[in-house]
Amino acid sequence: MHGWAVATAAVVAAGCATVGTLLVVRRLSLLGDAISHAVLPGIVVAVLLGARPGDPAVLGGATVAALVTVGLTRLVHRQGGVAEDASVGVAFTTLFAIGVLLVTVSGSRIDLDPGCILYGILELVPFDTVAVLGVELPRAFLSAAGVLLVVSLGLWLTWRWQVFTAFDAAAARAAGVPTAAVTVGLLVGVSLATVAGFEAVGAILVVAMLVVPAAAAELLVHRLQWVLLLAVCLAVGAAVGGYLAAWRFDTSAAGMMAVVLGLEYAVAVLVAPQEGLLARGSARLAYAWRVRCEDRLAALWRAEESATPAAASGHLVARLALRWLRLQGRVEATSDGYRLLARGRREAEQVVRSHRLWEAWLGRHAELPVDHLHPPAEWIEHHLGARLRQRIEQDLGRDAVDPHGSRIPPERG
Amino acid sequence: MMLPAILAFGLPYNTLVVAAGVAAVGGAAGVVGGLSVLRGRALSGDAAAHATLVGVAGALLATGQRSLAVLLAGGLVAAVAAVGLLVLIRRFTRTRDDAATATVLSVSFGLGIVLISGMVARGVPGSAGLERFLLGHTAALTASDALLLGLVSAAAIACVAIGLKEATMVAFDPAFAAAAGWPAAAIDMVLVALVAVMVVVGLPAAGAVLVTALVVIPPVAARQWTDRIVPLLAIAGVIGVVSGLAGVVISSLAPRLPTGPVVVLLAAGWLAVSLVVAPSRGLIARWRARRGPRPDAPSLVSGRDG
Repeated sequence: MHGWAVATAAVVAAGCATVGTLLVVRRLSLLGDAISHAVLPGIVVAVLLGARPGDPAVLGGATVAALVTVGLTRLVHRQGGVAEDASVGVAFTTLFAIGVLLVTVSGSRIDLDPGCILYGILELVPFDTVAVLGVELPRAFLSAAGVLLVVSLGLWLTWRWQVFTAFDAAAARAAGVPTAAVTVGLLVGVSLATVAGFEAVGAILVVAMLVVPAAAAELLVHRLQWVLLLAVCLAVGAAVGGYLAAWRFDTSAAGMMAVVLGLEYAVAVLVAPQEGLLARGSARLAYAWRVRCEDRLAALWRAEESATPAAASGHLVARLALRWLRLQGRVEATSDGYRLLARGRREAEQVVRSHRLWEAWLGRHAELPVDHLHPPAEWIEHHLGARLRQRIEQDLGRDAVDPHGSRIPPERG
Repeated sequence: MMLPAILAFGLPYNTLVVAAGVAAVGGAAGVVGGLSVLRGRALSGDAAAHATLVGVAGALLATGQRSLAVLLAGGLVAAVAAVGLLVLIRRFTRTRDDAATATVLSVSFGLGIVLISGMVARGVPGSAGLERFLLGHTAALTASDALLLGLVSAAAIACVAIGLKEATMVAFDPAFAAAAGWPAAAIDMVLVALVAVMVVVGLPAAGAVLVTALVVIPPVAARQWTDRIVPLLAIAGVIGVVSGLAGVVISSLAPRLPTGPVVVLLAAGWLAVSLVVAPSRGLIARWRARRGPRPDAPSLVSGRDG
């Protein structure tokens, strides 16, 4: 019972995520949004003309409606002289309104109601079956599986063209790729996937299935085929997870799948390698920590140089940094504060060396007043490498002092 | 002209007041939408619109009240949160704008559906009526509801009237406006906030799915008739008023019909007519222009200097 509903949702999700990946990388997500609303009148007209839901005629009607959406968008954009997103907004609201109106007016002749247009009737999928080779299979599952097969096959056959057109349409056209046909093929694929999903999960969830898995996958991996694979996995996972969660909490399965997709996207935003919030946050934190520690070391070194006792107090982070340095054996605690150990002294010297070299170099080459040299040096002291320090030293000459008259410590390996 | 026509249908007083309120909403949505379409943000309201459902359901759940003001206040919070989420996604991820919009839109709508279905399944009082926020249903509005919608719309129009010069500047050249010392980002945010407000007060009339049309279609239709901003906003407002008024009247005559699709199709009808007959931009004008220069048009090639 539940098995067929979950299986149908998973197959729908896989089909949507497959074409959705190309939509997202081609920046056509909003067109996917528009198509998933606008196929409604196509479906309704086909049903009014006598097709049964799930028939090829319904798929045809929906595909025509999808192409009409694209045509209407183009017409309003070109003829009306408004931005493309405005024309998308005009096209899909108008077509969706026509669809809703047709459904309402035709009344009992169509067993669709405005609610299930928006969020589907997945719960009823297992009850509407057809016999295939003597086995009763849900009709929605069959049509979704058929669409998945067609879409995957089409994508596999035209993969190189699709990728070429997606990333450089102008070059693809120049190289003889029929880019217009490639785009139309993609849009037909989108409308097929949309229709397969429409009855089961509704218009809005189709948008979620088209766009969100690919958007999440794109954050996690970089190569297109991996994005595609991961998007399909995420979508299927959301279909299964969403169904189970909806069953557990007694609410709409389609809505819950969209919510699970949203959670997957949020997790992707957090854990993405390099660009993820966690990765970026921890990199920032690690950097800030290194700067603090190096500042402490340099302060101790300067205190040693001027033979004044280093202030042991300081704000919390500074005290924590000193503790950390002690744990690492870079400094040791004394009765009135901290003292550099050999390893800490070597590192501190390089930080101070970077700082003073930079001040000296700026003092010579940039027309800055002396009291403006410190801030840039305070920042760059954490970033200069040994080679750059040596080049600066060569430029300055061996016995240079910094603009405040302090000695520049030598390079230590 | 319009009034006798309505009275001829014998509509009750309440319907007339609601029609006036929704007409005000349509007008204000057209005016505010005009600026947002010119700014190239036509669909920024769509994500907010779908998200309102979460707020409406949340407000009912939190307060137990189902007065329109409370529900719409919840919707506004959710709409603003959705717009804020979009800004955050834009700032912190490499997801592109279109995918970000579609993501926020569909996920927040899903959440709204989850809340509403869950509440209906548990028999939370008043939750069944929330479905009217999906596709709009003005028949359930009271006169005081309509007054609220009208007042908010009037306030929105007043905002546009006060800040028209600034908004025009930012709409046409945000970079220049910022360079010239205008608070371009703040003006932008006010504009986005106004769109969110209009999307929320448009909910009862058009519903979460179609309310975007109220802020997109009238300005696009108005664009066909003029190249100047004040007439554009005025025409968009008029189209919104007429579509809203007629939409309420039609849907009160046919109570099964959700109001949203009717209002949207009326506005789309205006657009279709405009695309054909508008002077200079319209299909007819272009077709005639291609047929040859008008007899009284000055000719550049004839060599006569008049």
